[in-house]
Amino acid sequence: MGSDVYFRLRIVLASLLVSWVWLPDVVTTAQRDGADARRVVVLSDLHMGDGRDASGNWLPYEDFRWTDELELFLAALQSDSEVSTDLVLNGDVFDLVQSGDGACSYEDGDLGCSEDEVLVRLERVLAAHAREIEAFGMFARTGENRVVLVPGDHDAGLLLSRVGRRAVEAFQAPGRVELATEGFWRSGDGLIHVEHGHQIEMRAEQFEGWPLPVVSRSGLQYLARPWGEQVVQPLFDDLESRFPVVDNLADVSAGVRYALSMRGNTDRISGPQLLLRYLLFRPSWQQFRMDLDRGDVEPPVWRLEEVRAEGPRFLVDSLPDDDRYKGVATEALEAGRLDGLMATLSDEALSMLCDRRAAIRRARRRFERILSQLDPTGPPVRECPRTLETRGPRYEYFWESRDRLFQRRLDVVQGTGPAIDIFVHGHTHLADYRQGNFTRVEAGLAYVVDGFSPVRNAASPVVINGGAWQRTVTPVQLERFLQGSETDEQEALRQLQPEQLPACYSFVEIEPYEERPGPPALRYWRQQEDGSWGPAGRCGRELME
Amino acid sequence: MRFVKSWIVGLVLFACGQLLYADDWPEWRGTGRRGVLEETGLIDSFPDGGLAVAWRTPIRSGYSGPAVAGGRVFITDAYRPDLRSTAVTERAVAVDELTGDVLWTHEWATNYAGLQLVYAIGPRATPTVDGDLVYVLGAMGNLLALDVETGSVRWEKDFAREFDTAVPSWGMAGAPLIDGDRLICLVGGEPDAKMMAFDKRTGQEIWRALSSDWEPGYSQPIIIEAGGARQLIAWHPRDISSLNPVTGEIYWEVRHIVDMGINPATAVWSGRYLFFTSQYGGARMLVLDEAEPGARVLWEGVGESDPEYGRDFNTLNSVISTPVIQGGYVYGVDGHGVLRSLDIETGQRVWETESLIGESTNWATAFFVKNGDRYFVNTDSGDLVIATFSPEGYREISRTLLIEPTHPYVRRRQSGTAVNWSHPAYANGHIVARNDEELVRLSLMDGE
Repeated sequence: MGSDVYFRLRIVLASLLVSWVWLPDVVTTAQRDGADARRVVVLSDLHMGDGRDASGNWLPYEDFRWTDELELFLAALQSDSEVSTDLVLNGDVFDLVQSGDGACSYEDGDLGCSEDEVLVRLERVLAAHAREIEAFGMFARTGENRVVLVPGDHDAGLLLSRVGRRAVEAFQAPGRVELATEGFWRSGDGLIHVEHGHQIEMRAEQFEGWPLPVVSRSGLQYLARPWGEQVVQPLFDDLESRFPVVDNLADVSAGVRYALSMRGNTDRISGPQLLLRYLLFRPSWQQFRMDLDRGDVEPPVWRLEEVRAEGPRFLVDSLPDDDRYKGVATEALEAGRLDGLMATLSDEALSMLCDRRAAIRRARRRFERILSQLDPTGPPVRECPRTLETRGPRYEYFWESRDRLFQRRLDVVQGTGPAIDIFVHGHTHLADYRQGNFTRVEAGLAYVVDGFSPVRNAASPVVINGGAWQRTVTPVQLERFLQGSETDEQEALRQLQPEQLPACYSFVEIEPYEERPGPPALRYWRQQEDGSWGPAGRCGRELME
Repeated sequence: MRFVKSWIVGLVLFACGQLLYADDWPEWRGTGRRGVLEETGLIDSFPDGGLAVAWRTPIRSGYSGPAVAGGRVFITDAYRPDLRSTAVTERAVAVDELTGDVLWTHEWATNYAGLQLVYAIGPRATPTVDGDLVYVLGAMGNLLALDVETGSVRWEKDFAREFDTAVPSWGMAGAPLIDGDRLICLVGGEPDAKMMAFDKRTGQEIWRALSSDWEPGYSQPIIIEAGGARQLIAWHPRDISSLNPVTGEIYWEVRHIVDMGINPATAVWSGRYLFFTSQYGGARMLVLDEAEPGARVLWEGVGESDPEYGRDFNTLNSVISTPVIQGGYVYGVDGHGVLRSLDIETGQRVWETESLIGESTNWATAFFVKNGDRYFVNTDSGDLVIATFSPEGYREISRTLLIEPTHPYVRRRQSGTAVNWSHPAYANGHIVARNDEELVRLSLMDGE
């Protein structure tokens, strides 16, 4: 409890400091009380980068190549002139971390870019994506619309004052484009909370001082670099030039597994312990359904002393046999490079892994094809040993870890306002699958809620991961594609371009409301069978040859 | 005493001059699990006003069907003392076949937490009667061998406790199967104890087989004879496995993945054909090797989870209903309520109709029992139908309401919000059916 209070206090102080010292006169965004009901649309993870090279080809790091689709999407949103929209760009809209400029490289791994360096990167991104910025600006200038920029881990630099001001100005919609300087956006009534998601506990990209993501050295300010970024970003930088879709997999960490498995050795991985830790705790919990027990079931109690006794092998065994990283991890294990990793993990972290293993096992034992990331026909991992009293079917509740994680995050961000009804995040690029366990009944109609509630037996709050407004592919789809490819796997992955991935962009929509928001809906902007573009409830998932 | 009652039953029936051949119904789908009623002298059409009721006996809820043997009817049921709790009392009940009087009951405590609760109303598996023992299985894997006379426990197993069974979402459903001295069970245990054989007298383990890295599923094991061997057919959500029933040795396996592990239908064996169907995994028609134990896939139909699934070219995706094979054709109810005929050699659709179920609805079910050239069909709306199937089509001869459906059903249908998913027993000129409130015996004898 003490640490929570301290943490909240830090957030408040940091917010005040940021507002006073760093930031321009932008307004913390909110739906104002007394205003007309507004629609809320949340997109995230566009990762607009440096664009094209001098010859007009996409740079390998460039992830956002979908200008036409975005313009169509925004035009469709604008076409409903009756409804005013809060369009929340929920983090990593700009990619200010991955760049080929060679800047921001310091001996001290904790240091990222200085403000000047971020500003240079931002200018490059703005120039490369002028059409997108103009489209957003036009949307913001239409009717009573507003656009909100929520900073993510890849555009945390927006929280630096000159960077934030420049980004807001670029949209040329004074008063209509705002920066969420608290690091999240909250609706005026306090019922909808939107944050990028990297600050959720256990995430390796968490900034300590958020929303003041800076460190000082010799009187100079630099962006901080979370440990996850330090471990993984160099890998992405190294791998993406050879495997262009490496960060288009959902969950985004899956690409690293593929690329590393194809590279075939761990020699060039600095810190295999941290990488394994990153990969074990990185994936979205929402790969798993919890549709059967309606939260009535008690969680099993894992025998953690036996788990610890297994040593680092337990951690490697937590990767299913078909996890592309397992071979590399096994190699590191056998070379003794994972020794000591167990000691860095708390009991809670181990329990989380046990829950996750059990969830994978259960899902694969029953061939839940509805899983969005794992192959349902893959090998099940072994469960952690349970106490005798919690063996058997009464104890099948494996989502306690996930629920606890999000409950704690909700507690941290709740503040003194009304209880949050909807918590939207992104960051992992893997949208939540709809959950069968909560069927809301309103006005005599029953419908399944997208996302999930971390409070057992409750339909509120709803937590939802909006995925990425990006072309993504799950490992299952990628496997299918690789198996059908005529070239060898490595070559097929090397040749696969983002343009071949399903043209399907996820976002979250919350309809206008008077008293309380209805459930958030996960939508996909995609091409229909007749060739026109429109929103859909599902994503076409075939890769193009 | 058992013999005396049997003689009385026989004498009464003989005196009536109506029933020429009578038989018991000692297990799931009757003797040999074939869904065949050999009795003769049964009615050709139902009388106005329905079948004559011999007796009605109140029972509790459950999906298990009744078994009839030696003048007794055996059924399992359950109730929740406190509806806010998942604690449950399951029960085996023996009823006098002639009078409906309860002869004995035996209860055991369990807990349905972990099951999909809307369907957690009671045991699934039909009791199996063999000599002086009746074997019952609860939804959470409590297996009991009970004395048919007294209900006293001869031996019992708790699958979850003793074999680390992870009970699947819809409960343990595989009715125990007698084979010589062995009681063969779908256990889903660890390690490698998906199928187990016990000494039927003592409960001592004889063999175990098949990994439980995948769920046990909900299908009923059967024994067939093909390729010069008796083969135990265990269909589970990953494979169709053929085992030596004496040793548990695997003869052959055919990969057939069924999503969500939902495979309640029983394998259908007819000569060289062995047929399987499920809603999500689709259909497989196997041809059995005639020289040695073995099988190959003759044709397959996509399941609803397959990307290729489409209403126009799926074959037969039954959910609970077990189809039948007659001549060169398969007849069965698709998961959407359509009665369909397929060419046995190709899987091509011959005809389909909604006339049997009467509506297009999810998870519709019917149970087929062959009697001569015709079938008795129990629909899940509680109707009993006499019908014939041929390549030309479905011909309904007679229909009556047999029992009020009471099982909860989460999808609203035209015929109401409840269904009857319990397979009745056909024995000694009567049909014995259950819902969640009563066990009822009605006469099928001509003239009654």
